[in-house]
Amino acid sequence: MRSLDESREVLYVIRTLDVLMGSGVGLEAAIHSISQGGYGIISKDFSNLMENINKGKPLEKELRSLLKKAETDGYKRVLNTMLNNVTQNTDIIETLRKQGERMEESRTESVKEYIEELGGVPETLLSIGMIGPIILSILGIAPQLMEDAEALFGPMDQGMIMSIVNVGLFLTLLGMAMIGLKAHTKDPGL
Amino acid sequence: MIFGILEIFRNEPLLLFMITLGVACSIGGIPPILERKRRRGIENDLPAMLEALSDSLGAGLGLQQAMMAEAERNNGTLGKLLKETLDESHSSSFDSALANFATKSRSSQVQRVMHLMSTAIEQDAPLQDILANMSRDYERLNDLMNRRESDLMGRSILIIMFVSIGLPFLIAFIVGLFAPRADGFQLESFNSSFTLFFGAASLVAISVSGRMLGRMRSALWWAPLWMAVSMSIYHVGVYVIGG
Repeated sequence: MRSLDESREVLYVIRTLDVLMGSGVGLEAAIHSISQGGYGIISKDFSNLMENINKGKPLEKELRSLLKKAETDGYKRVLNTMLNNVTQNTDIIETLRKQGERMEESRTESVKEYIEELGGVPETLLSIGMIGPIILSILGIAPQLMEDAEALFGPMDQGMIMSIVNVGLFLTLLGMAMIGLKAHTKDPGL
Repeated sequence: MIFGILEIFRNEPLLLFMITLGVACSIGGIPPILERKRRRGIENDLPAMLEALSDSLGAGLGLQQAMMAEAERNNGTLGKLLKETLDESHSSSFDSALANFATKSRSSQVQRVMHLMSTAIEQDAPLQDILANMSRDYERLNDLMNRRESDLMGRSILIIMFVSIGLPFLIAFIVGLFAPRADGFQLESFNSSFTLFFGAASLVAISVSGRMLGRMRSALWWAPLWMAVSMSIYHVGVYVIGG
């Protein structure tokens, strides 16, 4: 969930930092502005960072610990740019603009990929969702259908067959849910 | 036969409960649809509004004047909301009018734009360029959101239709044909297992299709209704085909 939140918010954070710092606001004040809210998990992270800075901890150390906490590449890159600005006084605005453009391109790509990858989900879901219950329904009624064929197949216990059917249905459901999970894990975070 | 079908429901308290819950929840599911439609309408109008504001600023107008002109021009939900907010804002500051507009829109996109505009005004940043950039950004974002919606909508409906209607009907047909109730087949535990399965499968289908479109929470309002539909189709199907 954290990575989804990060990827959803990071582009807006870059745009805000660009506006703020482009108009002459310092990095610390820009972080403070974002920490006021509106940017989900990143606002929370920056709010914790500001609290620690106000307690006397150095900004560099806080950015490094946040860098360890970050899960997505985009967010890590932004934090790294901030860190470089603090330690080496690099041109943060230009770097952020480039990162924003790149991130926007990658977001477009990831949405296209998401749509393509989910193209197969209905078919897979329906294959498992149909084949499983069809086989299990025939298995479930088999003891009664083949009562006269006991000499050939041996006695079939309805209770035992129903236990197998129930386990099979549960596994089918689990399979369907696992396939559906792709829709969540691959979400591009729009 | 109709009385026979009604009799099935009398003997299935879970099914009756699901039908009642389904009807109640589907009523609860309508407001999120209406709200989403309104919000997306506003968000789709946002890039054009930002572009117009940027142009007006370029022509030498102040932001407040540009917004008033845009409120007059735009006859969509966004324009109406903007006009309403600006009319109400005579007794307060322009900054609080922007905040009020953002709150009323109930859209995270508008809230972000207004927040950034307020910050830019505070910091005396070049507003015309910022608005033009934001217009481009949000146009791309909305294009992506609309594309996701149009491309995945068909697939999500397909999943629900097959799992909640096609599958129970198919299994009911097989069971009714091979093990008809009229021939004395004892299928109580079998039917109850499959009924529960269809209910759960419908829940999975609704969750997956809702997640595909990026609105699982509002889709879940419809889950009890689809669960009840799929469970009922199976029960009625077995009764009618096997009867």
